[in-house]
Amino acid sequence: MTEGRTYQDMLGGLESFWGEYGCVLLQPYHTEVGAGTMNPATFLRCLGPKPWKTGYVEPSMRPSDGRYGENPFRFQHFYQYQVVLKPSPADVLDLYFASLERIGIDLKRHDVRLVEDDWEAPTLGAAGLGWEIWIDGMEITQFTYFQQLGGFDVELVPAEITYGLDRLGMVLQGKRTVFELEWAPGVTWEELFRENEREFSVYNFEAASTDVLARHFEDHEVEARALLERDLPLPAYDQVLKASHTFNLLDARGAISVTERAAYIGRVRNLARAVAQMWLERQRPSAPEAASTEADAHAAV
Amino acid sequence: MPTLLFEIGCEELPASACDEANVQLPELCRRLLNAVPSDLYLGPRRLGVLVPDLPERTPDAWVKGPPLSVAFGEDGKAAKAAEGFARKQGVAVEALEQRDGTVGVVVPGEELRVVLPARLAEIVRGLSFSKSMWWNGDGLRFSRPVRWLCAKLDAETIPVEFEGIPSDGFSYGHRFTSGRVDIPAADAYPETLRAAGVEPDRARRWHDICTALDELGSWSDPGDVLGEVVYLVESPIVLEGRFDERFLQLPPRVVITAMQAHQRYFPLGENRFGFVANGGDPNVVRAGNEQVLENRLDDAAFTFERDVAKGIDALAGELGSITFIAGGGSFADKTERLVKLVERLGGGEASVEAARLAKADQAAELVREFPDLEGHIGAEYARLAGYPEAVSAAIEEHYLPESAGGPLPQTEAGKILAAADKIDNLTVAFSLGHKPTGSRDPFGLRRAAIGLGRLAREGGLAIQRDDLGDTRDFVEERFESLLAVPVEFVRAARRSAATELRGVAELALALAALPDEKLDPIHTAYTRASRIAAETEPGPVEPALLSEPAEREVLDAVAKAEPEIRDALTSHAYDRALDAAAQLGPPLARFFEDVLVMADDPAVRANRLRLLLEVRDALGQLGDFSEIPR
Repeated sequence: MTEGRTYQDMLGGLESFWGEYGCVLLQPYHTEVGAGTMNPATFLRCLGPKPWKTGYVEPSMRPSDGRYGENPFRFQHFYQYQVVLKPSPADVLDLYFASLERIGIDLKRHDVRLVEDDWEAPTLGAAGLGWEIWIDGMEITQFTYFQQLGGFDVELVPAEITYGLDRLGMVLQGKRTVFELEWAPGVTWEELFRENEREFSVYNFEAASTDVLARHFEDHEVEARALLERDLPLPAYDQVLKASHTFNLLDARGAISVTERAAYIGRVRNLARAVAQMWLERQRPSAPEAASTEADAHAAV
Repeated sequence: MPTLLFEIGCEELPASACDEANVQLPELCRRLLNAVPSDLYLGPRRLGVLVPDLPERTPDAWVKGPPLSVAFGEDGKAAKAAEGFARKQGVAVEALEQRDGTVGVVVPGEELRVVLPARLAEIVRGLSFSKSMWWNGDGLRFSRPVRWLCAKLDAETIPVEFEGIPSDGFSYGHRFTSGRVDIPAADAYPETLRAAGVEPDRARRWHDICTALDELGSWSDPGDVLGEVVYLVESPIVLEGRFDERFLQLPPRVVITAMQAHQRYFPLGENRFGFVANGGDPNVVRAGNEQVLENRLDDAAFTFERDVAKGIDALAGELGSITFIAGGGSFADKTERLVKLVERLGGGEASVEAARLAKADQAAELVREFPDLEGHIGAEYARLAGYPEAVSAAIEEHYLPESAGGPLPQTEAGKILAAADKIDNLTVAFSLGHKPTGSRDPFGLRRAAIGLGRLAREGGLAIQRDDLGDTRDFVEERFESLLAVPVEFVRAARRSAATELRGVAELALALAALPDEKLDPIHTAYTRASRIAAETEPGPVEPALLSEPAEREVLDAVAKAEPEIRDALTSHAYDRALDAAAQLGPPLARFFEDVLVMADDPAVRANRLRLLLEVRDALGQLGDFSEIPR
């Protein structure tokens, strides 16, 4: 097995590969998301007629996947590396495989497979077709050609490549568990994150106040609507993301019945759709505020 | 005549898309090329056809014009319609031909070589998939992106200009060990690909995989994944893996499902499994796959232990927060209904206990991971909690039969619980307006109704027809397809006085098995009596008004047959019931011979009609014979 390739080396390799290809290298978004797809750099910028190429690390937070740091393969917080190429070039798969070679995976030694996976994210009104990409039976990447986002058909079909960094690290370092992954020379994943998993699992499953969370959900929803009223889709989208994460926490706390679940998801989806619609309108060449609104929104943060 | 090779090169196709292409490609070739492929080469990265003896021309086509009555005027000259059609087709009106009552023109076929590129593009466009995508603006929709087209007519490359997809006589070999390969000639296609690390023939891949699995030992494929695996690999290598023996403590079906549903492995018994790779260093690939399976089993073991620590009774206690069908209450509500239904179906202690626990595993984490194992996991948890085997078995069996012809529950409690579950599914779904329409049946109600019918007939379960409420017709209609008798017999039997569901089936079978000489007299008696007496007010028959011997004979016969039929029906003695009915045939025949029903005396007439009504009702206990055509 390959020696001397740390987690941070792997990240650096992906960054440099996609940077050289011409991607805008961004940083993680500033609020909790369940997947890199929810970062506006994917969700919003994949809509509309403008080409876009980006790559970034995204911490993925999924409260109900926590296992108190006892299960070495499932976590409520893990990292993805997200690449979006809009429109998808004809050699997109070759590019992807070249990126794996760049970080040290010998594709001839492994069994690499593209296994059908039709992706859907109901809270985002998003859907696409693509694959789970397996190496020796382990899913290391989700590859999706988006077809719809926020309920709108995409105009230029983007390819979304989401690397599961923990599993990719296991393949690269030949480790049996994520705990053993070497993040930096001499520093393991376990040292960095295991206590984090334990505490957040306690928070997610036991300690989080459901009353407070339920109130927050309502507040974020109201705030999102108010911001949409004021033509501020970007800050409104932050409120959608916060509402979505709050919903995930309520779900992990077991505070949401199956019936309520569908209703909550519907509320988040409606907001996401409204944001997408407003953002799309801004992408039309005729929209006067197209450039300035975005700058304003970022300045406000 | 030349041989054509046409390959549509794709990014990795789902197995289902290969299956669909397998059906559609021969027909597309026939329609567009006027030829039949000798071989199909279907796999994840290519849909190929080899067409020997490609004709030189496309077939002549008949273009139908207006009907003769419109095309020509009364004077026999061409009318406007014919002239317009001829103009549109670019021929003189005199050149129009007549066939089958219309005019038309024969458009001569074209030289195939000339139109071939367009026809091949048409094949690509003509394939339709149940799920398709676009990847290039609003261009072609296909199962996955098409990345190259390779067409060879013998050794000649036919460029296919289509959506800018490269097409220059090249194909691609194995994705990682080979690359672009030149196809020298159409019939060299399979061997060229084999040299490039690809076995293009699905049947050969299938054979190779099976042979290699056989060498590993006795393998199984309970989830039927081989059909998919054969389309996931182009260069199959079969390997053997093992997992840690401590996972053998998990319920075996959990282990098998983890192997099959997620990883598409083939269990070899104990802790061994076979799997199919598409390349790579066997040692590296084996180690990786073993690791992945152990990770999955580890997670399953983690959730299993948590569920077991909670226990099945605690899980049952959580059902109040899990919705059954939106609007149909929670699984706790369903559980209450199941208990009542089981009692009504005559269930004893074991089935009532099983009903109370039947849905507990809906709250189990392991079922969330392995939804297909509902029922099985609940049964395992009941066993671990020390419930009697009859209870566990009933929980295990209560989703049976899983398909129209699938096995039925074997235990008495299992049968009763299975019937109760189906009655509840049907009743709740119907009350919410989810009656299946056309092919839409999201709640599997047809299967539930078929299951219920089979539990009644084959399982001998006493299910009262009245207990089926609004779903009764829907359930009984299933017998029309379930029983191998003409539907009329089922329709007749559904109108019978049988109180149990199985009675409908047994009667339909008994009626259908009846020889004509036995059925005919009953049929005639019933249909004549009911036709004549249709408008009659029911009322008692006055014996004093019956003057003719033949009518007194009928009265005696009815008085004897009616209770006999009723009694035989109740004791499920359907042949005896029909025998009793047959006794009414001869007296009725004499009655119609000797007696004038429409007597002048209104009182006598009414009395005779009431007598016929009694005959009809006595026989009608066995069904509506007028449904049976004679």
